[in-house]
Amino acid sequence: MVELFGFLKKRREGKLREAEQEMAAVRRTFTRRYLNFKSLLSTNDQVLEIINELEQVLLAGSGFGMSLVRSRCTALSVNLYKIIQNLNQITGGRFPELPEVFQGIWERIDRELKHRKTDPSGELVLPLEAVTREMSGLAGGKMANLGEVKNRLGLPVPDGFVITAAAYQIFIDHNDLQEEINRRFQLLDPGDLAGLHETSAEIQQLITRAVLPPQLAAAIAGAYQRLQDRFGGPVRVSLRSSALGEDAQEASFAGQYRSLLNVSEEFLLLSYKEVAASKYSVPAITYRLSRGFHDEDILMAVGCMTMIPARVSGVMYSTDPGDETREAVLINAVWGLGKSVVDGSLTPDLFLISKSEPARILKKEIQPKGQQFVCQTEEGVELQTVPEGERLSPSLTDAQARRLAEVALALEKHFGQPQDIEWAFAPDGSLQIMQSRPLIIPEKGTEKPGPDTVVEIDRPLLFSGGVTASPGAACGPVFKVETSVDLLQFPTGAVLVTRNPLPQWAAVLSRASALVTDQGAITGHLAAVAREFNVPALLGTGQATRALDQGEIITVDADGTRVYAGRAEALLQQAGEKVNVMKGSPVEITLRRLLKHIAPLTLTDPEAPNFSPRGCQTLHDIIRFAHEMSLRELFDDQQEVSFSEKLAKKMTGDLPMQWWVIDLEGGLRAGISGGTIGPADVLSRPLLALWEGLRAVPWQGPPAVDAKGFLSILAESAMDTSLEAGTGSGYGAKNYVLASENFCHLSTRLGFHFSTVEAFLGEKAAESYIWFYFKGGGADLFRKEQRGHLIRSVLEQFGFWVTVRGDIISARLERQDRPTLLQGLQVLGYLILHTRQLDMVLGDPAKVQGYKEKMLREIGTFLQASGPGVG
Amino acid sequence: MQGIRVLLVDDEEDFRKTLANRLGKRKFEVSEAPGGMEALDSLARQAFDVVVLDVRMPGMDGLEVLKRVKESHPLTEVIMLTGHASVESGIEGMRLGAFDYLMKPCDINDLTVKIQDAYQRKLTLS
Repeated sequence: MVELFGFLKKRREGKLREAEQEMAAVRRTFTRRYLNFKSLLSTNDQVLEIINELEQVLLAGSGFGMSLVRSRCTALSVNLYKIIQNLNQITGGRFPELPEVFQGIWERIDRELKHRKTDPSGELVLPLEAVTREMSGLAGGKMANLGEVKNRLGLPVPDGFVITAAAYQIFIDHNDLQEEINRRFQLLDPGDLAGLHETSAEIQQLITRAVLPPQLAAAIAGAYQRLQDRFGGPVRVSLRSSALGEDAQEASFAGQYRSLLNVSEEFLLLSYKEVAASKYSVPAITYRLSRGFHDEDILMAVGCMTMIPARVSGVMYSTDPGDETREAVLINAVWGLGKSVVDGSLTPDLFLISKSEPARILKKEIQPKGQQFVCQTEEGVELQTVPEGERLSPSLTDAQARRLAEVALALEKHFGQPQDIEWAFAPDGSLQIMQSRPLIIPEKGTEKPGPDTVVEIDRPLLFSGGVTASPGAACGPVFKVETSVDLLQFPTGAVLVTRNPLPQWAAVLSRASALVTDQGAITGHLAAVAREFNVPALLGTGQATRALDQGEIITVDADGTRVYAGRAEALLQQAGEKVNVMKGSPVEITLRRLLKHIAPLTLTDPEAPNFSPRGCQTLHDIIRFAHEMSLRELFDDQQEVSFSEKLAKKMTGDLPMQWWVIDLEGGLRAGISGGTIGPADVLSRPLLALWEGLRAVPWQGPPAVDAKGFLSILAESAMDTSLEAGTGSGYGAKNYVLASENFCHLSTRLGFHFSTVEAFLGEKAAESYIWFYFKGGGADLFRKEQRGHLIRSVLEQFGFWVTVRGDIISARLERQDRPTLLQGLQVLGYLILHTRQLDMVLGDPAKVQGYKEKMLREIGTFLQASGPGVG
Repeated sequence: MQGIRVLLVDDEEDFRKTLANRLGKRKFEVSEAPGGMEALDSLARQAFDVVVLDVRMPGMDGLEVLKRVKESHPLTEVIMLTGHASVESGIEGMRLGAFDYLMKPCDINDLTVKIQDAYQRKLTLS
């Protein structure tokens, strides 16, 4: 118009160039900002997924340890740090107080993580006569109880002393071992049995090779010397673990640690270290993990007592758990040392004695006893052949059995609950008590049908016999364990079939469906662990390893002492649920407390005055805040007028939502003037495909909500106000697309839902991808999950790799040719539109199936209509 | 235990000497070898019932020693000890005919019983 005026023209050209330059600068700035934004989004999702994982782990309750919790928390802290840096980078350091706030929350988390370590102080060594029940904090549960038995009940207990928890602590501290131990656990994948064995071996070697602090070595030697002085000559001792912290709940830790018998002075210190190291035996690590104990809470005190070269010994339960009336004392006895009873290597004699006066012998089952453990002259124990004449004779006289029952009842009365007692008769006939600890008797779970109810079993009976060591019934494939190598290959859900119920098999007990053995009795350690984990156990069948084939599916009826071929449904239906042994455990409690600083979202309203760095109370708040602020920074036209006016164009057309498109490079037709565009202006190929899917089938409005679905939405909205659509900030209502010719990034907040689609269609299939992320929904978790499953099943039809966790759906389609990717984008477009608010109606699975079929039909129709290679 | 002849093969001298001492106190007839070659030499000169063999040693690897022992003395039982070495090698060892394997530091009682068991198997096979 003003071309006539050359200087004007010149000026205008100059202005155009200026505008172009400005535009280019803006684009550069924007691209940089966008990259920040992209990294924020992906970090954001990662972080939310970690939080989700922690919540899921807590819900599932299956064994998880502090190393998992610690590693996830570390990942959170690193990512949060990145998010905050990123935000301050794109906003030019607008929130300087945010790092400080983060630091504050992080310190609270760190305090929970560092965990109040039980810090024992006191004597390194205590003579047993100075120990009573209250001293379990120093002497460990086992020795504290034994001291009580000796000093308060006045029952005979071998002379000895306790190397205390304080001693263990200075030993570990002296060598700086705890940090190294934690480091090794951090590297360990708890599911990796082989790795677990290696880590266990390494840590135990670390401990046995470590040096005892001089004052501890001197204290032990001194106590040993006093023992010798009293004894009047060289003594052999037994060393028994007496861990602290195991009495935090009803935990047995039975046989998880090492006991060393008949140790001479020469190897006393080494043996002490070996028993201390057995805190890290494979079964003990597995046990702590599955019961949720903190490693640092378990301190190993070690009892050291003169060795009794027993003539006969064993284990007794002051109440027979197998007897419904709880009216009998159960005694298992063998010739020689009691080791073979607790480690299940022999099937012992059984005596049942009435609890009521006068003590009557209710039952006597005498086993052939071919072997016995005896003390060797210098050191150690050996398995010896029992003299011919004694093999078939009862190991206890009736008088001895009655005497034992009397002691058992006295112990039960004193401790106020049934006791698991180790005892021995010395060659001179005197009785000695070696241990008394609470006996875990599994509660009768679901009501068992009375004896009159006949359960029809339509499966062939393989054999019957043995004793019920832990009640219940279970089914699974037979897996025989003979050597420790077999343990490594033990499949989850298998029936553990073995000759002897050795304590080390406990390492796989939590993944076994049932336990069946040839030898052993219910007083063994493995039986105790089986009861604790609610794993049905049938011991001493005399034939399991011969009668059963590897891999064969069997049903073990521990109550009925029968084993059937195949799956005997009738029995399994009666069996109770597996208990969640993590519930209420120390690790679970720690995780719950940690999550309070992590998971809740308190910053729900972006318009509220507390929506500020100072208002952030949890990590989730920081994530939300940073996300919102980054979005504002990027898209808020109030603050970045020059950007949005020039760059973001409003999409017009027949879409049921508002779209704002920012052209990164070649995503829109060149030379568009004004702030609006139509579909014809779009050049971005991935965006076009997405668009096509969005427009293909008109949305018919929100589905009719049933009353329950509506109530569930109300309930969720009341709980979390962030779910309110649009929250009035204005950002919620807009949908942004960043597009270039072969790239698009779409971010949608639709009502209760937030979704992201990102696609890059590169030159090579290997660099191309579609990424879809979807979170939220107003309905309850069940309905959200239903919707998650629906979306997953649809997407999987089109080759997506989909994960659903809680209300988060994440899907990827990678390394595909272009037509497949374009088709995937169309499907996503369709789904974004048609799945909104669907969670509200997905109360029943039949509807889910109905919707799935309808969707696949509609998608099939429009894909066919558009033909291959769209865009 | 009297008369059970045990060959202890481990390059870690402290560990080997202590273990030999402890097994000796338990009335085993214990000989020691600091490596695979020495072990094979000893076996060539003298009969043993049970070999207790460390899996990871410099020079000849424990698995290789195991293989050769089982070739030249199929009746001699071998118990593998493994510390740092991978557990895979334990499985491989079992495949090659080891009697069992124990993780270091092994429970001296367990080892004693294992040696006895291995000896029993040797008796039933010979």
